[in-house]
Amino acid sequence: MKSSWKAIILIAMGLFLFSRVLSGKLFFYINERFLWLTVFAAFGLLLVGISYRYRSQHDSHADDHHDHDHDGHHHAQLNWISLLLIASPIVLGVVIPPKPLGAAAMTNRDISIESLTSATAPQNDTVLSKPQGEKNILDWIVEFRQSSDPATLAGQEVKLVGFVYRDERFADERFMVSRFVVSCCAADAAPLGLVVNWPDSMALADDQWVEVSGILQPGEFDGESMPVVEAVSVTLTDVPDQPYLYPF
Amino acid sequence: MKYTETHSPSSEISRKPIIGFFRSKAALRLVLLILVLAAFIVIRDNALSDSLGSRAQTFVTIFLSIFIEAAPFLLAGSVVSGLLEVYVNKELLYRFVPRNPISAALVGGGMGLIFPVCECGVVPVTRRLYQKGLPISMGIAFMLAAPVINPIVFASTYAAFGWGPILFGRFALSFLIASAIGFVFHFADPKEVLRSEQLSSIEHNHHHDHTHTDSKGPRFWNALSIGGDDFLDMGRYLVAGSMLAAAMQTLVPQPYLLALGEGSVSSIVAMMILAFVLSVCSTVDSFLALAFANSFPPAAILAFLVFGPMVDIKSSLMFLGVFKRRIVLYLILLPLMATLMITVYLNLNVSW
Repeated sequence: MKSSWKAIILIAMGLFLFSRVLSGKLFFYINERFLWLTVFAAFGLLLVGISYRYRSQHDSHADDHHDHDHDGHHHAQLNWISLLLIASPIVLGVVIPPKPLGAAAMTNRDISIESLTSATAPQNDTVLSKPQGEKNILDWIVEFRQSSDPATLAGQEVKLVGFVYRDERFADERFMVSRFVVSCCAADAAPLGLVVNWPDSMALADDQWVEVSGILQPGEFDGESMPVVEAVSVTLTDVPDQPYLYPF
Repeated sequence: MKYTETHSPSSEISRKPIIGFFRSKAALRLVLLILVLAAFIVIRDNALSDSLGSRAQTFVTIFLSIFIEAAPFLLAGSVVSGLLEVYVNKELLYRFVPRNPISAALVGGGMGLIFPVCECGVVPVTRRLYQKGLPISMGIAFMLAAPVINPIVFASTYAAFGWGPILFGRFALSFLIASAIGFVFHFADPKEVLRSEQLSSIEHNHHHDHTHTDSKGPRFWNALSIGGDDFLDMGRYLVAGSMLAAAMQTLVPQPYLLALGEGSVSSIVAMMILAFVLSVCSTVDSFLALAFANSFPPAAILAFLVFGPMVDIKSSLMFLGVFKRRIVLYLILLPLMATLMITVYLNLNVSW
């Protein structure tokens, strides 16, 4: 493959990463604390792409003539299949509209009380000191886990943002307000959620982002006791800037 | 950069790729490429509305997340490889290689402290070191150990688990297993281990005296562009590995795997499969392991933290760029067996 093509792919990949950083869509993929890594990679890719312009003369000769005595350039020949492969993150990223993981990804993951509580990794004390209105789904589940008695949370007012998830275990007037917890990137996403009692549940589409206001009550789901939200209001919202919750 | 009148147009282009590109017919090809992309974008909104579409979307999100998370580390490793190519010659490296095979393997296992790279960055660095004449055993020990034996991973494991058996167990086991496997390969013939391109570059390696005469600037740019070559070359395997990992995650349900948390052997097997499939970078995997610390025994967590950085879908695909296929199989199976046996023993005989 010509070095001009290599330079173009490297620069295109750098620009692709930049576009995801600038549009904020990067958080559909990775934990926000690794933002700087992506910025570093984007700048690095641009720099490396530009470096092909200043590659010294004998190097470009090596590609054509004395291949065998110039180590490091044997693997430098990329064919068109490789080119397609290496460009596929950019192509798929541009062609398929970016979307955070949603209800479709949950069908493949375990939604039981066990996974819901074990996914809440570090027991940080900051959770308990958060003002009640700011506590998210993860915070409430950590708190439930620490007390392990749903009754202690009874009567607490909650305001939660998440997407709608349902499967065959949900009665008509119930749904789960859900989020994914991401430690590193979306590959390790673990689903979390609280069951919501809401008479108009059937009117909500799967994957719809909602803001749920209500009161926690002791309840049960799938045969196990856990806090359940008695919803006072359910309003439709857009996907939040950071669709995932971070355990640390 | 000097410009001379006597060059033919084609060498002009290859010498000044970016500028030459816009004058050549390559520009036409790029326009075609953009047109094809535009056509895709027009079609996509109508085609991706059903449940198959949302599955495809999940796949793309997971694929891109693995790739985006790994790309900075692969780039860093590739640039280090480029710098090694330009600034380190064989004689310099030779002076640092221990003659005794056991100490060579042990030094290989500890080399990550000097080259802090994770499992994506380590492969291009190892390949470059092989071209500079590093012994096979030392390179394999380095490649398997470095993703764990480095300051960054030490810090993240400490942050997640604090001082304790997980932290020390992780470092001791990774070091021992990697060095032992490296030592085993001391007895292998390099011709049977490395891919033929690597071999020929070792045998025909000329001294690059001419590069020393260049001024500092071009050498640095050369190092970067060699790093770019490495990034693209290894990136193929990273892309293929990320796709495979994303496909497995989209198609294989996790609940079955996590239900294995009970048994003393099955829990370890489950965590090792998880480490292999998730392909999470070793610099952050301890935070992920923490999520399983409640439902899995410590030995299984240890197996996850030791095996995952050595072997996972994306890194084992990247091994294919350096080693022959049969050797890649060994490089998956040997760490697997060693980790499995040691952690099962710990699970049965040690109370934590």
